[in-house]
Amino acid sequence: MVNAKINGIIVSVPEGTSILEAAQKVQIKIPTLCKHPDLPATAACGICIVKLKGSNKMLRACCTPIEENMDITTQDPEIVEVRRSVIELILSKHPNECLTCGRNQNCELQKLAADFGIRRESFPQHLPTIPADSSTGAIVLESRKCISCGRCIQVCQKMQNVWALSMMERGIDTRVSPAGDISLADSPCVNCGQCSAHCPTGAIFENDETAKVWGALADAKKYCVIQIAPAVRVAIGEAFGFPIGENCTGKLYAALRRMGFKAVFDTNFGADVTIVEEANEFVHRFTKKQEKLPLITSCCPAWVDFMEKFHPDMVGHFSSCKSPQQIVGVLTKTYYARKRRLDPANIFIAAVMPCTAKKIEIKRSEDMFASGNQDVDVSITTRELARMIKQAGIDFETLPDEESDHILGEYTGAGTIFGATGGVMEAALRTAYDYVTGGKLKNVEFENVRGLAGVKEGTIPVGNHTVKVAVAHGLSNVEFVIDKVRQAKAKGEELPYHFIEVMACPGGCVGGGGQPYGVTDELRVKRGLGLYKDDEAHTIRYSHENPFVKKVYKDFIGEPLGETAEKLLHTEYKPKPEYKR
Amino acid sequence: MTKLTKEDLDAASAKQSANRPYIKVGMSSCGVAAGADEVFKVFKTEAEKRKIDIAVKPCGCSGSCHAEPLVEVSAEGLPSVVYGRVTPDIALRILEEHVRDKRLVQDFIVDMPVRR
Amino acid sequence: MTTTVVLIKDTNAEGLGRTRDAHDIFAEKVKSAGLADSVQIVRAADLGIYNKGVVAKLLPQGIVYVDVTETDMDAIISETIRQGKTLDAKLHRGGNEQVRIVMRNCGVVNPESIDEYIAIRGYQGIKRALFDLTPEKTIEEIKTSGLRGRGGAGYPTWLKWTMARNSFNAQKYVICNGDEGDPGAYMDRSVLEGDPHCVLEGMMIAGYCIGATKGFLYIRAEYPLAIKRIQKALDQAYEKGLLGNGILGTKFCFDLEVRLGAGAFVCGEETALIASIEGKRGTPRPRPPYPSDVGLWGKPTIINNVETLANVSYILLKGGKDFSQIGTDKSKGTKVFALTGKIRNSGLIEIPMGTSLRTIIEEIGGGVADGKKILAVQTGGPSGGVIPEKFLDTPVSYEHLQELGSIMGSGGMIVMDQDDCLVDIAKFYLGFCVDESCGKCAPCRIGGFQMLKVLEKISEGKGEPADIETLKRIAQAMQKASLCALGQSAPNPIVSTLKYFEEEYRQHIVDKKCRAGKCAKLLNFEIVASVCKRCKLCVKNCPVNCISGDRETGYTIDQAKCIKCGNCFEVCKFDAVTRR
Repeated sequence: MVNAKINGIIVSVPEGTSILEAAQKVQIKIPTLCKHPDLPATAACGICIVKLKGSNKMLRACCTPIEENMDITTQDPEIVEVRRSVIELILSKHPNECLTCGRNQNCELQKLAADFGIRRESFPQHLPTIPADSSTGAIVLESRKCISCGRCIQVCQKMQNVWALSMMERGIDTRVSPAGDISLADSPCVNCGQCSAHCPTGAIFENDETAKVWGALADAKKYCVIQIAPAVRVAIGEAFGFPIGENCTGKLYAALRRMGFKAVFDTNFGADVTIVEEANEFVHRFTKKQEKLPLITSCCPAWVDFMEKFHPDMVGHFSSCKSPQQIVGVLTKTYYARKRRLDPANIFIAAVMPCTAKKIEIKRSEDMFASGNQDVDVSITTRELARMIKQAGIDFETLPDEESDHILGEYTGAGTIFGATGGVMEAALRTAYDYVTGGKLKNVEFENVRGLAGVKEGTIPVGNHTVKVAVAHGLSNVEFVIDKVRQAKAKGEELPYHFIEVMACPGGCVGGGGQPYGVTDELRVKRGLGLYKDDEAHTIRYSHENPFVKKVYKDFIGEPLGETAEKLLHTEYKPKPEYKR
Repeated sequence: MTKLTKEDLDAASAKQSANRPYIKVGMSSCGVAAGADEVFKVFKTEAEKRKIDIAVKPCGCSGSCHAEPLVEVSAEGLPSVVYGRVTPDIALRILEEHVRDKRLVQDFIVDMPVRR
Repeated sequence: MTTTVVLIKDTNAEGLGRTRDAHDIFAEKVKSAGLADSVQIVRAADLGIYNKGVVAKLLPQGIVYVDVTETDMDAIISETIRQGKTLDAKLHRGGNEQVRIVMRNCGVVNPESIDEYIAIRGYQGIKRALFDLTPEKTIEEIKTSGLRGRGGAGYPTWLKWTMARNSFNAQKYVICNGDEGDPGAYMDRSVLEGDPHCVLEGMMIAGYCIGATKGFLYIRAEYPLAIKRIQKALDQAYEKGLLGNGILGTKFCFDLEVRLGAGAFVCGEETALIASIEGKRGTPRPRPPYPSDVGLWGKPTIINNVETLANVSYILLKGGKDFSQIGTDKSKGTKVFALTGKIRNSGLIEIPMGTSLRTIIEEIGGGVADGKKILAVQTGGPSGGVIPEKFLDTPVSYEHLQELGSIMGSGGMIVMDQDDCLVDIAKFYLGFCVDESCGKCAPCRIGGFQMLKVLEKISEGKGEPADIETLKRIAQAMQKASLCALGQSAPNPIVSTLKYFEEEYRQHIVDKKCRAGKCAKLLNFEIVASVCKRCKLCVKNCPVNCISGDRETGYTIDQAKCIKCGNCFEVCKFDAVTRR
């Protein structure tokens, strides 16, 4: 432990703790624009400077480890003056467009300018004319608003190992861009959107598609349907002042209905169908043929894109089952349409996802048009939905809870935990256990696939077999798992795993790139707990026991992995180049 | 080539280089920029033509970059001196007047007080 | 018998005329003395001594006489030449002698021949370390010498090495920082080009001390000759077994490789340099951890400047004690400076620490040419400051220069005279730093840019009194909040010129005048009617046709149209155009 003083208050923290973190322990906030709790310090903004007694230099609190007997001052008139100067300098290279910016009232730079009472433009504005890059359709990179804090680059390179973003040029011309100044769409970007969730300003922002939704709702010919993903229900509340992790499912259903959706479905239903298909697929590969193992989950579109680009030799291992979003979409435009005697061409289905990559998934291949129309018409993020609810004038805080619509709205506990890392694995194992052994688990909770460790490994006895599993989240953790498999295959050794779950975003979908801002591990855990509580609250905790899933299979799909299932619920994966040019 | 040993190093170091007359041309970037390459060539070819027995060697910059190209001349029977701003013409004069006739060339000597 | 050569020069005169007279008189006297065959009187171009009348230097004796009169010439012949006696009264009392340690072999050895280097006791330093000393004792020797890093900050070399030595790791590295980037500084280039082996030897000694087996020479790509010679030296050293495995028959192994700098000034900063060698974007990272703990590829690494390493091989050869005799209390040894600007003898000089700036400029550098007055001297490159003439008696050392608001830096020294404008100088240096800012941290990236805009405004006559406060405010933010030394020190040229020459800024801002006439937009060209001979030459040379009039009424310049190019001023043969 290191003992030191900050503003006269004694702190005792483990060795290696930064001054910034140590200060937080004693309720001292040191302002910063670049340091994010998820990421190593980039030391880019220069605002967190503090004084050390006995030195005439100022130190950066974000990246200086506190040392024994340090006597730190975090604020005095000189420090505040320097900080204010730096903020004003940053503002001189940032457009004054707060009112028309997506981050209005939710911007770290704006907040700092307000806190420091900046009331003037001390330095003339210098704004480069760099066009925005909206080529991917998932996120928009607006370099003009960038303050070069470097968070997105840390996210893209270190957290996600994608390396789509890097710094270009130098000095005043420094900017964030894919290497070689190609467009994001041509870059290795997998659309995970983590950069947008970490950006302190509006420089990287989700591609706002709310207008499409409003347009459809206003169109009398359209029969508007909506589905909400598992992770959305435990995060949307943050936009309305609810405690972190609060499950707002009932309020969401009510709000969406008031916005004008004729049917409010739940992606969790789709998750249950995914599990039925995927568990069957696993059991098939595991017990019958022992081929194409390990089975790797494919419900995360950023992960799918990542594997197709960076591990093309492994795409055969993907589960061919579509993601829950696509399953709800295709069933809405086939089964539900037929049942309700609706023309599928007039159905407009929107999806609310914690995710920016889902915006791309809806058109990723011809299979996404299996119903004969585009299966999902638009996919918006949790952040976009929060804005829509506000625009609709809905008093979300006091809304009474409502139920989802029949039949694609009912879900099991297994479906809802899809939103947390390890959840898909857990849900699939519950069903697979039943399929293999014909019996029920005593304890349905697989604790060793839960939690925020980057890679979680476990062995699960299933009847006479032992299933070896791995769960990775945050794309930088994938390498370890995939390499192990690749090495074992090359050497002809026993496989290290039979089943692998990967989620691109740390924490899984609860930490998705389209979720409300300010994500930290603490927050990821709380959102995840919200989902696990939802699971516990359900009496049915096996996907295949969802009575409505059973009914849909009986009435419409037939057998899992059967002809209709293959046609509507499965897809293919192909290797892709990392760079398109 | 075989590796040097400690003894080889000492032997090579102890062996005083023979007192053969020499011309050294400062051929660092500053010298080259001022035309040292040309001057070096003149010394080499013209000394050969005139059958003057003198070693012509490159060396680094002695510091007086303002007076490059610098040429140090050590001819038999004369103290060694440094000429500055040497052109091919002056190089010729140095060869003929200084090295061959043992009369130092007027007006070009640069002699900076330096302790090594 | 060796001929006596008397070099002669009238050091008070610019041209050769008076030297010629002195020469002729002396030569005549030698002739009449019957010594024409054994004594040569030679007119010198430069003897490195100024304003000391006629100077005569006797070779090979090396005796220098100053203020030599005709009678003295007789005495020189009769006393010194004939009898070997020195004339004490006329003897030159040194004081301006350069001392060569770093440049000891520059201009002496053939840099492309390892044999020549070995012949002058090259590689004896590493031999001594390997056979007579342990790594600890070698570091002790460096400690005794008092050597401090010559890259600018002056960190004690032995301390850096000790930290790296104590850092536990099987793999360590030595890096030679040859990414010399200060405008006007080129001593490292000269050492690399003139004596590459002494740098290699210094690196080997460093490697031996810290326990490294691998080193890199990071040399800027703009130094092709230095790269070529270093590469040749490396090849030769490998051929002789002085690099590689089992050096000189010992267990010591050391490999060296050249890496080229990719053209960024900031890569001279050690953490940015490491990133660059690793193949990453060359931007500094926060310290700690210091490279001696976590350096190249995460391994303990020491980074020493070329000049420091050249000193190391000398220290091992001559002993630390010998080295510590030179210099001041806290700054030992010598320092090489690249003397440029308004100075008679621009070039590299090496002087013992503690030599005054005045000695350097007026005696060694020969002062300002054309008899102009020194205004100030800039040391330390873009991170340094401007020192006004009144402080020229300050001795050169890390501490003294810092006290004046400048730094030793890597050794650039630029002399300015009355024709230099300090706003312009500040603008030049800041412009350099703005170009070279890596852009990583906000205070440097935006602060430098905004300061430059203010300076441009001032030099264009659009300055406002509040601008000085703005400059000071940004300077403070940059100094306090920038991550690396580049940003922290980039405002130094402005801070120091504001400190010593604020009045000059005010002239630009309030009076809209530039004393030196450097800030073109503040100039006014006018034709003085009484002097003008109506030759119309200015009219013909004006690129914007803004001079009108005729032979009767005379000519005038339309100030609104004038672009201040100065053509009229230059071409007028009668000095009828004034520039104010």
